[in-house]
Amino acid sequence: MSTQTTPFQLDPDKPGIDAPVGGGPQDTIKAERMPFGRWMRLVGWRHVVAVIFVIWALFPVFYVITLAFSGGNTLTAACPPDRQGLAALGCIFPSKISLDNFTTLLNSDQYPFAIWFRNTLAIAFINAFAALFMGAAAAFAFSRLRFAGRRLGLLLLMLVQMFPGVLALTAIYALMTQIQRVFPAFGINTLWGLSLVYLGGALGVNTFLMKGYFDTIPVDIDESARIDGAGHARIFFGLIMRLAMPILIVVFFVSFQSTFNELPIAQVVLPDQANTTLAVGLRGLVANPLIQQWGLMAAGGVMAAVPMFIVFLLTQRSLVTGMTAGAVKG
Amino acid sequence: MAEVVLDKINKLYENGFHAVKDLSIDVADGEFLVLVGPSGCGKSTALRMVAGLEDISTGNLLIGGRRVNDVDPQGRDIAMVFQSYALYPHMSVADNIAYGLKLRKMPKDEMNRRIQRAADMLELTPLLDRKPKQLSGGQRQRVAMGRSIVREPQVFLMDEPLSNLDAKLRVQMRAEISAVVRSLNTTTLYVTHDQTEAMTMGDRMAVLKAGVLNQLGTPTECYDTPNNIFVAQFVGSPPMNLVLADIKEGVNGLELHVGGSTLEIPSSTLDERPTLKGYAGKQVALGVRSEDMEDASIAKVPDERRVKGKVTLTEALGSEIIVHFTFPGQKVVTEDTKLLEKEGGGDELHVQQDEGVKWVASFAPRSRVRMGDEVEIAVDVERVHYFDPETSLAIRN
Repeated sequence: MSTQTTPFQLDPDKPGIDAPVGGGPQDTIKAERMPFGRWMRLVGWRHVVAVIFVIWALFPVFYVITLAFSGGNTLTAACPPDRQGLAALGCIFPSKISLDNFTTLLNSDQYPFAIWFRNTLAIAFINAFAALFMGAAAAFAFSRLRFAGRRLGLLLLMLVQMFPGVLALTAIYALMTQIQRVFPAFGINTLWGLSLVYLGGALGVNTFLMKGYFDTIPVDIDESARIDGAGHARIFFGLIMRLAMPILIVVFFVSFQSTFNELPIAQVVLPDQANTTLAVGLRGLVANPLIQQWGLMAAGGVMAAVPMFIVFLLTQRSLVTGMTAGAVKG
Repeated sequence: MAEVVLDKINKLYENGFHAVKDLSIDVADGEFLVLVGPSGCGKSTALRMVAGLEDISTGNLLIGGRRVNDVDPQGRDIAMVFQSYALYPHMSVADNIAYGLKLRKMPKDEMNRRIQRAADMLELTPLLDRKPKQLSGGQRQRVAMGRSIVREPQVFLMDEPLSNLDAKLRVQMRAEISAVVRSLNTTTLYVTHDQTEAMTMGDRMAVLKAGVLNQLGTPTECYDTPNNIFVAQFVGSPPMNLVLADIKEGVNGLELHVGGSTLEIPSSTLDERPTLKGYAGKQVALGVRSEDMEDASIAKVPDERRVKGKVTLTEALGSEIIVHFTFPGQKVVTEDTKLLEKEGGGDELHVQQDEGVKWVASFAPRSRVRMGDEVEIAVDVERVHYFDPETSLAIRN
């Protein structure tokens, strides 16, 4: 049988279906332009709405960046109160650029920014990878294996997700102080303690997301690999993990981001300003109503945003595939 | 030696569903056996038990003389082609084919030799670097076959490999699969729900229904001498026509009274089937294949071999004319006929005595019947089938 007759042939040397037929310079027709009124009605208004929303979303971000680079330490340093109305929008473009806030914060002894940064990065990465692995293992079991209590387990997982971790703050505090007595390395005021608390809640959303995605990978592939001679570990790591890469990236990103930005639990477990996370540390800068150092906080915030930004850039394309694929089953 | 022996294999699920009941089949070395039956009859379950993907509840499974009930799939020396092909999407065609060989740590030159041979056999050589998503359905299917071929197993297992292909491609791939498998002379178990595939590809067919083996024989045997009404109607397209006939003593021997017409029972038939005489005064289920009927104006037969009916539809195919007609008669209604009607998409839930029987005959192309005609149909009474209406079994002796 000749393979040239199959219609799906994607031969890179042959033009595809939408390649122009009968090449060479021919008269190409120029489409008529839509009258402005019609264009506005069908397409234009979307641009207007989009622009409005983009301004709405980005304005606070720009404000903080301007504040950080403005050199002032008050909330209105970037935008003095004598500028009213639309003139206030002009605040986005700073009148003077100064790195004072950054240098003050980085050199400060009272506020060890570098330590906060290091702590947050460490916890975020540990949490992301561990949640990924645990969630994948749980999702694999829920998706592929059949065991007593599977349905119940899924249901419980879903129910437990409905209660935010913040509800357990006092319990966490009590728990951590108790652990401090027995296992000081994992107790209150330790990074490992915080990691443990985060990991305790890591299985919820992640497992569901991943289970949904695993369900879309046909079981036939597992079985075919089994017949070929692959063991369980090879099927899990070599096949399923490779095929589930989009959702793994989503889960990594979601875990990383939520840990990075988390405040209440971190505040409870790491209350000491000398050894805490970025979120708690930066909050501490403006906690005292008498001495609110907005400028320093803005500078800290801008610097803290950099790792998130990098991670997002790296995972951006996979996020779109992964998120939609996990949402729709089959 | 790679014969496969299923000895009273059973599959009972935890919820009580008995999927396969006492299945016993001996597959000879190099034989192409087709497991065929309607959806849910247990054929895929049986195949998966041979593969080792499902546990065998009771019974013995022997491959090459060795009992393999408790052996893992990779230890059974089998290869399986799945309905969905189960290609690894992130690997190229060459890697897909080589996967099993790499796992078994085969030396590289032996591996390449095998891959090249399979690629030549299946015309996959230009596609070796493509990923599965860049292939058409037929090409993916050939890759799945290639993956099985390179393993050079004792047994090939195929689970409805052609179901995902369009009709034309299916006909083509049917021939290809047959050719490839026969050239390799490997024992093959092939599962399908399409009786045409079963008839054309298999050395023998195993017709299953609801987990029970109804008939095991060559396609010709299953077609010419079906064991029961189910096999009779399942094998052959269009399905065998059935009607309830009264057997009465006539002038020249026993006669069949079918909806206003009388058909003779030839003495040769009675000689072959003496038990038929015991049905005198009772009813018997009469089965006639569409090719055993002809337009009576073309095939001149005496009155005792004619049935009168009214034509409801004609389909001229060029080589023959398919004629749908009705005549007053009693429909044969058993579990099997209801099941097959459901499979065929019919939704006649009620049976009325006076509705008549709908039959399909195949006339010679020069027949002049038209829709609405009252027609006389010549029946080849030497070739009709007789079934017991209670037990559905064929009356053969």
